[in-house]
Amino acid sequence: MSIIEVHNLSRTYKFYRKEPGFVGSMKSFFARNIEHARAVDGISFSMEEGELVGFLGPNGAGKTTTLKMLTGLIEPTSGTASVLGHIPHRREKQYQKQFSLVMGQKNQLWEDLPAYDAFLLNKAIYELPDKEFKDQFEELVEVLDVGKILNVQTRKLSLGQRLKCELIAALLHNPKVLFLDEPTIGLDVVAQKNIREFIKKYNRERNTTVLLTSHYMEDIKELCERIIIINKGKIIYDGSLDKLVKKYAPHKRLTVTFNKEGVGREILSRFGKLKYLGPHRSIISVLRKDAPSVAASLLSAGLPVDDILIDEPDVNEVIRHIFEKAS
Amino acid sequence: MHKYLALIRANWQRALTYRSTILGYRVGEIAEMLFILVLWTSVYSASGENVLRGFTLREMITYFLIGNLFNMVVRSFASERIANDIKHGRLSTYLVRPISYLAANFMRQFASLATLISVITQLILITLFFLPVIIFNTDALYLGIIALMAIFAFVIEFMISYLVGLIAFWTDETDGISSSIDRIKRIFSGGLFPISFLPEVFAQISFLLPFGYSLFVPAQLYLKKMDISTGLYGIFVQAVWIVILYGIIAFVWKRGLKRYESVGI
Ligand SMILES: Nc1ncnc2c1ncn2[C@@H]1O[C@H](COP(=O)(O)OP(=O)(O)OP(=O)(O)O)[C@@H](O)[C@H]1O
Ligand SMILES: [Mg+2]
Repeated sequence: MSIIEVHNLSRTYKFYRKEPGFVGSMKSFFARNIEHARAVDGISFSMEEGELVGFLGPNGAGKTTTLKMLTGLIEPTSGTASVLGHIPHRREKQYQKQFSLVMGQKNQLWEDLPAYDAFLLNKAIYELPDKEFKDQFEELVEVLDVGKILNVQTRKLSLGQRLKCELIAALLHNPKVLFLDEPTIGLDVVAQKNIREFIKKYNRERNTTVLLTSHYMEDIKELCERIIIINKGKIIYDGSLDKLVKKYAPHKRLTVTFNKEGVGREILSRFGKLKYLGPHRSIISVLRKDAPSVAASLLSAGLPVDDILIDEPDVNEVIRHIFEKAS
Repeated sequence: MHKYLALIRANWQRALTYRSTILGYRVGEIAEMLFILVLWTSVYSASGENVLRGFTLREMITYFLIGNLFNMVVRSFASERIANDIKHGRLSTYLVRPISYLAANFMRQFASLATLISVITQLILITLFFLPVIIFNTDALYLGIIALMAIFAFVIEFMISYLVGLIAFWTDETDGISSSIDRIKRIFSGGLFPISFLPEVFAQISFLLPFGYSLFVPAQLYLKKMDISTGLYGIFVQAVWIVILYGIIAFVWKRGLKRYESVGI
């Protein structure tokens, strides 16, 4: 059986729209315009144990709302979700002891307490035996290298340090399912890489099921074999990143380097769509299946070709293309 | 360690981090208390009476000192914190964990008793000032009932404050409501003047409300203006209120959570 199963899940938010200005305020005092926002609109997917899935989508697509439903913070308007055989919004202790939610933008640790005290508190809350706590704690502190900051109030930590502590707090009880909402937001590239590598390793070693959202393509590229793209509350893609690129990007890129200057637009345009023109290096976009033959004809055309590189278009570009097309 | 003991411990640490805030409050409170006592002293001298509504000046001063001591122990400031947790989505961090938000907050309230040392120091300071006029009651039976009443009042004050905080599920504006309730509480608890100064009806009503048991009733018991049986009856009323409030909290919590959208995350 799958660890996470979601069927036709929807969530509508009610909200009020107020006209600007004083008159608007008065109007809305007497009669409020209720509107409904369909944040998640009939999504279905499932995840197997140990999978690490990237949940992608533009701002406001419904990612956080989905995570809120899966962690039981809010109730779905319709449809069903089940995680580890539990219905999340029932908030059963048995379920809560088996998952964790980390939100990069939200401090979950008590700000006035040093991280170590927060960990002790979690030990008590999750009723962890001494030994289990100690082993897990020591390992995490070592891997994430936070030994020196454990006695500092968490509000005095840097964003990256705090996030590491958040991760430890979330992992002490060795959850089976981990929900990560933009865990690397605001971190510098090095810190991002560290966190990313940590998540990857943790997922491999513990076989923890991870559902992660991020706006950083690096995260997705490095971590996720499978991605789910959501837009306006609907899933528009569910599959591997490779297949996505193949499906949505029917073109490949040929980067041609010349050892003499001056191969111009006119000549190059004959081979395909010219994406970039430089004095020594130009990029041509050609249909996937034509790539080898175009490369061959470039070589045999008597041009001063030094090197030809055939590669996939940039994932960022593909995703941007999909997002733009969808909106 | 049991989870709720751990919560008390953690909150205790947290409370002690804010020593200067606590002291900050105390300064204002000492000033207010002195002001009230001076005010009543001059009321008595202006009226030329020795006894007002059954209170001598000495009794009146003792009433405020004992009543306020009692009130400082039992009062609760939970509502603002709870409203903020709801408004800013911090409640979510409790909702995803195997822990009860009500219990967690109660433990926090309990841990805030750690700051009691400063309250007692404050009271000793004022008491020294008024030592010659204060009336002492060493009757163990009365003091026992007052102590029991304090435990119940502590729970009730917390529950009311908690309920007021839960209003934030429905409206972002909880300050107004909570300040109104504070004022009503202050009057009906006898914090401004003994309730016996009010027309008889009010006094009767206030016996059925939970507020009086946070100041007026225990102070009256201390002054032996109320007998043991009235005290026991009061404890019974408190117990009924705890049950009622618990029911309301459970109901409001359930309805509120349906509206909770965990904003900000
Ligand atoms: N409490 C709320 N009341 C009304 N509308 C809401 C509420 N929370 C979210 N929404 C709306 O629901 C939609 C989905 O929001 P959600 O937070 O799930 O997006 P997201 O995919 O996480 O976006 P981001 O990448 O910006 O974090 C948005 O249009 C948002 O405006
Ligand atoms: Mg989001």
